[in-house]
Parts: sequence; structure tokens; C-alpha cells
Amino acid sequence: MIQYLPYQRKRRTQDFRFTTNRPWTQEFKRENEGLPRSEVFIEPIKDWSIFRGDRVEILVGRDKGKHGIVSQIFEERNWVIVNGMNWYYRRIGESDDYPGTIIRQELPLLVTTEVSLVDPSDNKITKVVWRYTEDGEKVRVSSRTGRIIPVPAAANETYDYKVKSAYLEGDKDTKSDVVEKVTFQPELKTFDMDVMKSMGIEEDRTPKKSYWY
Amino acid sequence: MGKKNFRSIFIGNKRGSRIYKETRIKDPDYISDIPVYTDVKPIGYRYGKEYRVIPEMIPDIIVPDLTDCPLKPYVSYRANVAVQEEFTAKTLFSFVYEEKIKKDFANQKLDASSLPLEPSDAESLSSETAYLEARKTGSDIFSERIPRHWECLELKSDK
Repeated sequence: MIQYLPYQRKRRTQDFRFTTNRPWTQEFKRENEGLPRSEVFIEPIKDWSIFRGDRVEILVGRDKGKHGIVSQIFEERNWVIVNGMNWYYRRIGESDDYPGTIIRQELPLLVTTEVSLVDPSDNKITKVVWRYTEDGEKVRVSSRTGRIIPVPAAANETYDYKVKSAYLEGDKDTKSDVVEKVTFQPELKTFDMDVMKSMGIEEDRTPKKSYWY
Repeated sequence: MGKKNFRSIFIGNKRGSRIYKETRIKDPDYISDIPVYTDVKPIGYRYGKEYRVIPEMIPDIIVPDLTDCPLKPYVSYRANVAVQEEFTAKTLFSFVYEEKIKKDFANQKLDASSLPLEPSDAESLSSETAYLEARKTGSDIFSERIPRHWECLELKSDK
């Protein structure tokens, strides 16, 4: 049997090793240039509960017991980077004559086992469940104290804005008041008739009758 | 993208066979921002050896005057975009006829068979008139078939 379609191997997540370098960077490309590496097994988390700006406690390593603020999240590897915690020294800009500048680089921590959310009411670790309030809002509730742990504002931050209402509209952006205005007036006209009307075309001739057999 | 001397980049055009264009896409120096058009619609038909161009098939892109147009290519993040219901024939009917029918019913201006005694313009429109009005636009894009090339053989005598 002739195969008319060429065999197309789909790109799978196992074909890439996700790291702290984002997939669109040169470093990621360099890391994934060669043969695909062995697959990393990640525990699937149904309800992701840790966001940027959350206060967490570190449960393993040198900084065990310390609290920190989450600065980055990598959902593909179940990682978080806690600001200033779990770091190591490394050199930048090393060359033949220059020894390089020493900086601290944070290592990622696993969300499932190495890090835990902190309840703001008593500053102790807690497990978190998602529940609905009376208003229908989905919130995180501490299973130990029952207190709502609100999602921090930093979680809704993007490259374009810190808060949506503070977004600075550019030249190519349609202003929000223009977008929200409803200008549609339904009329008993087909699309072509509407175009004719808006262009001011008037037609007196009627088409001849046509038949389908 | 970085600083590049655009003269040295071959941007390309519509010309070239399909195979040539496909190899260009797979080329490592290919810049994905500049598209390669492989799906070009025909503007006529082949009649034997020659290719006959039908002027009506050549796409005519009409762009309105966009000076002082408040609409731009992107939408601001600040806009609260509301979800609108689907605009169906039922919605159009209710928009055009509903109010009048309700008013007539309240004032007993409907006769025994529920037809209006004082019909408005929309209500007095018959199906034949509506059909003719719609066909008056002269647009045959949905109503008439594009003639196959063997059906255009009669035109040869005109030329």
C-alpha cells in the first residue's frame, strides 16, 4: 500500500529537557541541541497552589526552616525559586586574565517535597486546599487553620504590566473605552446589502429570475 | 532579531515552484517572521497549453480610509471584554419585529389571524421582495457557481 502522507513524528515533551532557562532562550537551545536526554519523571499536580510572591518555608538543605518569597515558577518541572534561598556561588565573565565576578545563584526547589506554603496567621507550614467562597470565588484554604490564603498580587504580574489597570496603552492598542462601546445595530439586511448602504450604492434594476433544475 | 543588513537577506516573493518554497522553509537561515506563500489561489484556468486569466478572479483588496480610526490592531489589557451572546436569526427577529407586535397586541391592532392591521415597513415585506432586494447587490459569490473551463468555450467565439 502506498503511503501518501509522510511519517511525521510528533514533538513530545520527552524530546526536551526543561530547565531554569526558558524554552525560547539560546541557553535552552544549546542544552537541547544534541541527542534527547532521558526523561525526567514529574509528579502530576492537579491543583497548582504556589504562586509568585507567596511566602514559603524550605524543608530541606542548608536553609531548612527558613521562610522566603517565591520569585519564579517552573510548572514543567514542579520547581520554584525562592528569593535568596538555596543558593550556590558561581563565577560570571571568566576569561584568561580575569577570574570573574562571584555571584549567588538560587537553585530550584520541588514544590511537592522541598517547599511548603506558610499560613500568614501563625507563620507555620500548612497544606492547602482549593475551595469556593459564598461569592463563587475559588480560594486557597489552609487545611490546618481554615484561614483563606489569598493569591498574591505578584502572581498576576506580566512583562507588560504590574496590575492590569496600570497598563500603559501603546500606539497600536485600541483604547479600553472604544473596545467596551457596543456599536452594532442589527438591521434586516444581508451583509452585501449593508455594505451597499454604507457605500451609498443604489440599485434600481432587479435581477432576472433564475431556475435550478 | 538583532542588527541585520536587510539588503543581504533574501526575502523572496511569490515566484518559485512549490518544492522550491518548501525547501526554503526548511532552510536553517529561514526567518520565520517573513512568510513563504505556498498556497496561491488561481486567477484563471488552463485551456490546453495556454492559461486564461479571468479578471474577476484576481483578488481586489479594498482598504478603507483609516485616518482617525479609533480601532487599532491590538486591544488594551485594561479593557473589560464582555462575553456577548450569539447573534442568531431569532435575535434579529426580536430586534426588528418584537416591539411592534407587543404594542399591536396591547392596543388590539391585530386581526383574527394575528396579522397586523397597520403593518410597518418590515412587516409588509414579502418573501419575493426580500429575495429580490438581496439579489440586487449583484454579488454572485454565494448564489452562482464559478463557470468551469469547459463552460467558457462559448466565449472563444467572442474573441
